[in-house]
Amino acid sequence: MGKVIVVTSGKGGVGKTTSTANLGTALSLLGNMVAIVDADIGLRNLDVVMGLESRVVYTSMDVIDGRCELERALVRDKRVDGLVLLAASQKNSKDDIQPRQMKSICSRLSENYDFVLVDSPAGIENGFRNAAAGAQEGLIVTTPDVSAIRDADRITGLLQHMEIEPLNLVLNRLSPEMVRRGTMVSQKDVLSVLSLDLIGVVPEDKGVIASTNRGIPLVHTKNSEAAQAYMRIAKRLIGHQIPIPEFREKNFFSSLLQRFSRVK
Amino acid sequence: MITNHSMRDGKRENPRVNLRAYRDGLHLIITPNLPIEDVSNAIYETLAHMNQPLAGVSVQIDITPPALTKENLDSLRVKLEETYNLQVSGIDFPKGALQGGSSTAFSWESNPPLNKKTERSKIVRKTVRSGQTESFPEGNLIIYGNVNPGGEVSAGRDIIVLGSLRGVAHAGMNGRLSSVIVAMNLVPLQLQIGNYITRPIVGQKPQGYPEIARIGPQDVITVEALVTA
Repeated sequence: MGKVIVVTSGKGGVGKTTSTANLGTALSLLGNMVAIVDADIGLRNLDVVMGLESRVVYTSMDVIDGRCELERALVRDKRVDGLVLLAASQKNSKDDIQPRQMKSICSRLSENYDFVLVDSPAGIENGFRNAAAGAQEGLIVTTPDVSAIRDADRITGLLQHMEIEPLNLVLNRLSPEMVRRGTMVSQKDVLSVLSLDLIGVVPEDKGVIASTNRGIPLVHTKNSEAAQAYMRIAKRLIGHQIPIPEFREKNFFSSLLQRFSRVK
Repeated sequence: MITNHSMRDGKRENPRVNLRAYRDGLHLIITPNLPIEDVSNAIYETLAHMNQPLAGVSVQIDITPPALTKENLDSLRVKLEETYNLQVSGIDFPKGALQGGSSTAFSWESNPPLNKKTERSKIVRKTVRSGQTESFPEGNLIIYGNVNPGGEVSAGRDIIVLGSLRGVAHAGMNGRLSSVIVAMNLVPLQLQIGNYITRPIVGQKPQGYPEIARIGPQDVITVEALVTA
């Protein structure tokens, strides 16, 4: 039996879908069987980020309505073996699906896959409740700004109420330079409010948008700090003990140093 | 450093004297800065419009600072007991509220239990997160954790947060103005005591020591370091 993990945040635009796509890819690159499930019904995105948009024939709605078998609805990733996507229906709304139906899909997927990552929609209504219904664990994505932290705190309370544990925190889009200038909430302050276990920090990276537009998850890119951060989170998810590095500002010397270490 | 707004709820009430029923009994809430004659008249107006006889019922007098003198209060107590046949169970005011009061420093004696039998506390053993509320109108509320921004706690009496208070706290929610709010780290969005509201200045840094908020002698909520004598 695999683990069902819901990726959620409360607030929109903090990187739930990006994190799901990258962690799913990273976990399967590490040799796991992974299913990623788009629970954002009516506003599907995960297939686009994965570059699988044109391959989607059936969606979770078709499975629920009995129009096709679960295995047939799964879209195989074009780059990595052992990674499949269950797309969301674009024609339906979040109220067309029940938490117990989502729960059934997740538990059937967890029979064949080591990890089932459910990409939750923004908000705390039915869409979120459907996404969390089948999950045993939660990954809470937040960015270092007060409104994202507030929403992450809200969602943490809801997940704890649903007895989904453990809950891990992904701190996304951290910009060391802005923290130094005091215009961004620091990692320490985020943790002091949320009091959650931090599983990883993903630095701000312009490559994320480029990779989304190309439909290639960032972890396929070499030399990206964000990609390396996602790989480390994936390793921590399968139980590796890797310390969380402190991100420093890039200046002339550090980039020079980095170049040397890469040559080595 | 602190802005204050006094707010009255929109119920049909005598503007000078309010008689309210709470779980621990009847409370007579007196507005500050009134001559004793006005208070007496207001009490008469309030009690005269009662449908039910109140003889023999015990009342608690709540008073907001700056207020009547001790002599005024004594004569008020006598008047209530003799004229209206009420039993005054206690007079509740923040220390320093009474004119000629000796000290303005906080002391626990100025916040006596209304009724030892009904004095109760609720302990919450978790962090109150955004969107969550904890309320205990019957007594004190003690939080073993933080109150995060967006979280709300309210209590009939005192609120004690053994962590960081970053959300909204409302002590004395039934109008008990001697209630206090204590937190190990007091950086709230908003504090309310009775019908007094205050919000700390934006961007205030945590002090690093426990603080107490209460209604001070200047008729505003004041925040100071928690020092117990």
